[in-house]
Amino acid sequence: MSASSWRLRVQHKTGFTYAGPVGASYNEARMSPRNESHQAVLDARVEVWPPARTYRYEDYWGTVVTAFDVHAAHETLQVTASATVETLPAGDLIAGDAGATWAELAVPETVDRWHELLLPTPRTALDEELTEVAERIRGEHPAPHAAALATCTLVREEVEYVPGATGVQTGAVQAWRQRKGVCQDISHLVVGLLRAMGTPARYVSGYLHPSPAAAIGEAVVGQSHAWVEWWVGRWTAFDPTNGIPVGERHVVVGRGREYGDVPPLKGVYSGPENSGQGVEVTVTRLR
Amino acid sequence: MADLFEDYRLGPGWDEMFGEPSMPRPTYEALHATLQPLSSAELGIRAEVLARAFLDQGITFALKGVERPFPLDIVPRIIAAEEWRTVEVGVAQRIRALEAFLDDVYGAGQVLADGVVPRRIVVTSAHFHREAAGINPHNGVRIHVAGVDLIRDEQGTFRVLEDNVRVPSGVSYVMENRRAMAHVLPEVFAATRIQPVDSYPGQLLRALRAAAPVGVHEPTVVVLTPGVHNSAYFEHALLAREMGVELVEGRDLVCVGNEVAMRTTAGEQRVDVIYRRIDDEFLDPVHFRADSVIGCAGLLNAARAGRVTIANAVGNGVADDKLLYTYVPDLIRYYLNEEPILPNVETYRLDEDPDVLQHVLGRLDELVLKPVDGSGGAGIVIGSQATDEQLAAVRDRIEFDPRGWIAQREVALSMVPTLIGNRLRARHVDLRPFAVNDGENVWVLPGGLTRVALPEGALVVNSSQGGGSKDTWVLTGTPGSVEPEVPEQEPVVVVPSPRSPDPGPAAGPVAVQQQQQQQSTRVGEAQC
Amino acid sequence: MLSRIAESLYWIGRYVERAEDTARILDVHLHRMLADPWVDEQTACRSLLGVMGAEAIEGPVSAARVVGLLGLDEHNPSSVVGALAAARENARGARETVSSEMWETLNATWHGLPDARRRVEQQGVHAFFRWVRERCSVLAGLTDATMSRDEGWLFLVLGRSVERVDMTARLLSTHVRAGGSIPSWLTLLRSCGAWETYLRTYRGSLDDRHAAEFLLLDRLFPRSVFAALSTAESCLADLEPDHGRAGVATDAQRIVGRSRTNLEFRGADELMADLGSVLSVLERTCSQVNDAVSRRYFRQTSAVLWVSEAVA
Repeated sequence: MSASSWRLRVQHKTGFTYAGPVGASYNEARMSPRNESHQAVLDARVEVWPPARTYRYEDYWGTVVTAFDVHAAHETLQVTASATVETLPAGDLIAGDAGATWAELAVPETVDRWHELLLPTPRTALDEELTEVAERIRGEHPAPHAAALATCTLVREEVEYVPGATGVQTGAVQAWRQRKGVCQDISHLVVGLLRAMGTPARYVSGYLHPSPAAAIGEAVVGQSHAWVEWWVGRWTAFDPTNGIPVGERHVVVGRGREYGDVPPLKGVYSGPENSGQGVEVTVTRLR
Repeated sequence: MADLFEDYRLGPGWDEMFGEPSMPRPTYEALHATLQPLSSAELGIRAEVLARAFLDQGITFALKGVERPFPLDIVPRIIAAEEWRTVEVGVAQRIRALEAFLDDVYGAGQVLADGVVPRRIVVTSAHFHREAAGINPHNGVRIHVAGVDLIRDEQGTFRVLEDNVRVPSGVSYVMENRRAMAHVLPEVFAATRIQPVDSYPGQLLRALRAAAPVGVHEPTVVVLTPGVHNSAYFEHALLAREMGVELVEGRDLVCVGNEVAMRTTAGEQRVDVIYRRIDDEFLDPVHFRADSVIGCAGLLNAARAGRVTIANAVGNGVADDKLLYTYVPDLIRYYLNEEPILPNVETYRLDEDPDVLQHVLGRLDELVLKPVDGSGGAGIVIGSQATDEQLAAVRDRIEFDPRGWIAQREVALSMVPTLIGNRLRARHVDLRPFAVNDGENVWVLPGGLTRVALPEGALVVNSSQGGGSKDTWVLTGTPGSVEPEVPEQEPVVVVPSPRSPDPGPAAGPVAVQQQQQQQSTRVGEAQC
Repeated sequence: MLSRIAESLYWIGRYVERAEDTARILDVHLHRMLADPWVDEQTACRSLLGVMGAEAIEGPVSAARVVGLLGLDEHNPSSVVGALAAARENARGARETVSSEMWETLNATWHGLPDARRRVEQQGVHAFFRWVRERCSVLAGLTDATMSRDEGWLFLVLGRSVERVDMTARLLSTHVRAGGSIPSWLTLLRSCGAWETYLRTYRGSLDDRHAAEFLLLDRLFPRSVFAALSTAESCLADLEPDHGRAGVATDAQRIVGRSRTNLEFRGADELMADLGSVLSVLERTCSQVNDAVSRRYFRQTSAVLWVSEAVA
């Protein structure tokens, strides 16, 4: 990797607490970054407590999944994912009016190729108001890429970033109506709006180092993060929550139509009520 | 004596027994000759015996929680050997193409990249389960069992109506119908040479064993049933019993670290192949409906890890979507480089060309409208028999969701004489042959389930819609033609001729003496 | 064998035996009520209900009400009809394990219940109870003739034996309640179909000692408590092919064995003197065996309820 790359160590601890002993639980963690053009994974592992044998596979979307089941009685379940990743800066960005045209995006072959990423999903479906917003933005911009950037700006201006304002089940419409949300909601809104315009778009889950001027060796509290990618002749990524291109501070874990395709940890258990869950992400810039 | 065939009229479809009034086709001559002399009362009595036998054996299906017998009509349906050959080869061809398609859409997706099937069809199918991507059965089989629904059109040509490659049911009726008929109408069997259907469980078990995970030489096969309240429970139990394997429910299974086991009185015992009769959505709460209490958590990943085989495979529904059906002839050409042997019924896709949609909407009253992922005849609207309100309702639904519907020409299904009251009347039938794929060969059970629509003129032949069934006879070829799969000749063993059974202890004389005693007693009385 | 199936077979054994024994008990007791002008219907019915574990019934009870509760109530698995329905339901879930003929008999019996009810109205209860006894005998015969002597058979016979101990103990309790008069022994022996055998064995002498001895301890009469306990014991032993060196392998074996020796090595006089407590110990034994068998062989056969969870 080039001299301007960063080396990041990410530790992601998450899990559940129950009101009493749980007899059995089956889970899947999507918490492992994988190698791709923008990042190189030096080391990645997932550990589970109580101890369980883990099974790794790559799902339909290409995300690395760690599956495990626990059969010893337990009152808390903890999953810890650690990874060391080299990341590159944003690289060559598409100029505002460049990229595919609306006509090019409407070619039947293109529509068929990205069909799955043009359809609404439960969390990205729009209501009438949002559909009109999409139409208006599309009308104002001759180039899809420029329209996408404008969409990101609009959503960021309209929806206030308020941690805890929404949950994992919240959809785009609800977040829009309350004008509050987190990175997940902002990304769902952008993805939904872009698809309504006819621009193929996907939801990305990963990690973000909070500081552009990170000190080397300092462990800071990071975030489990989400952003978006859209296709205008090629795929391009953008972080609408922070209004920045995706660069050396971002680590990609998974891509899909929405959160439901890339949840960091989900599963089923049999036992008493789930009384709590905690997420803790620590990011350290190593180089 | 009342003639059974009195007033028998040829109906609107191809009559399988009669080419013209009172003149049976050659295949039906023997049957006709046997039925002809029977009085309607005689046949009626036998039909009652038949119904009673089914009820006592519990051969029923449950409709809205009530167990009902699946009425078996006493007149069999007969298919000539050479006609059957076409069905057999045509069904096998279709299954091979659908296997290739499933392997492709859950893998590389070449068929989509080549534009043979639009991605749209696949990614919008309710049964395209992305969770199944990456589960690669090592012998390449995903469709271990298929039921392909066929009809005969006005010219007698077999056409495919739909494919069933998820959990097709009905094969138990094929086997039980045959047994019951042999008891009730033995003389008809004597007059005709019919291919047997009792090898089905053996073929199925062979295919399931062949699908076992790598390295398992003596696989443990189980049948997974939703339980006694399922409408096809009778069939699940029959298949398990005749294959000699356990019939398990989800609660009997446990999956730990991708190893599946069943709970037995001697502890947990490993399971290698699961012939499941549970829908995908209920199979594994980890990936599908978490509220399922009839599945087993962890199954899907165990299959992914290659530790257990799920038959039929998860996600097969994408291949029997009724919209995909319209592409199957293209798939046969694409994957097999062959022409389809069994044609489809003429079908309109409604989600492509607005002109086609308008054309169809303009003549709903002549067409058959089918929801693409309905099964059991649910939601089908037959234009010619629908009321104006029904047509208006289906029009709204189609306009709202053209992807959700197909339109087909209304085919006058072929007809077979059926006992209605105490006379034989022409009724519409269809045919579901069952195919078993063991990875090397697609075997088609000679026979299949003939369903008959009992109300006069009715075209929907599903059991949940007031249908019955008929025993389906595939004739053996005439001598000289190709004999299909004759079982190996048993070596001749010389056995001593049987002796008569051992008599009881001096039964004869004692009885005589007892009688004499009585007589002498009476004599004694008289003397007093 | 699947735990769930083993459990079903065990309960088929229990329910069929329960149906038959309940039919026998009701038949003979009701008959006696009609035949004996000195019996107070109310008291006799109360006593019968009490013995069958249905003491909590309120209001006046008549013979007809007893027939309704213990004979024809389809929702009560302790009634004749309810037990037959429960047996059939269990067989439905174990259909590939019981022989087809057994299943058909159970199923045909179940389908015949509505007719049988009508018969009660037309021909009286006796015809109904006789029909039940016959159906149960057919079933017992088919069990004998068509089931392999494998684990499934062992569980079925085990269930039958446990139920038989329980029912015979209850039956004997009716004697204790009736105050130990001679005619009631006659009733009891008739209930068990043991009257003729008993007469042959004891050459017609009808005294308490012999009758109790016969129903509790006879080695050869299959409905005696001793014979049923011995059968249960041998089933349990056969279920554990690996019995180790010390004592017996399972709790159930210990419970049954203790109970059997307790009968075997106490004299008939001693047992008779203390009959009430002997019988209540026997009833307790049955439920302990039931628990021990369930724990060992029928582990977790109910469905698991899953809850989904996710975290961002």
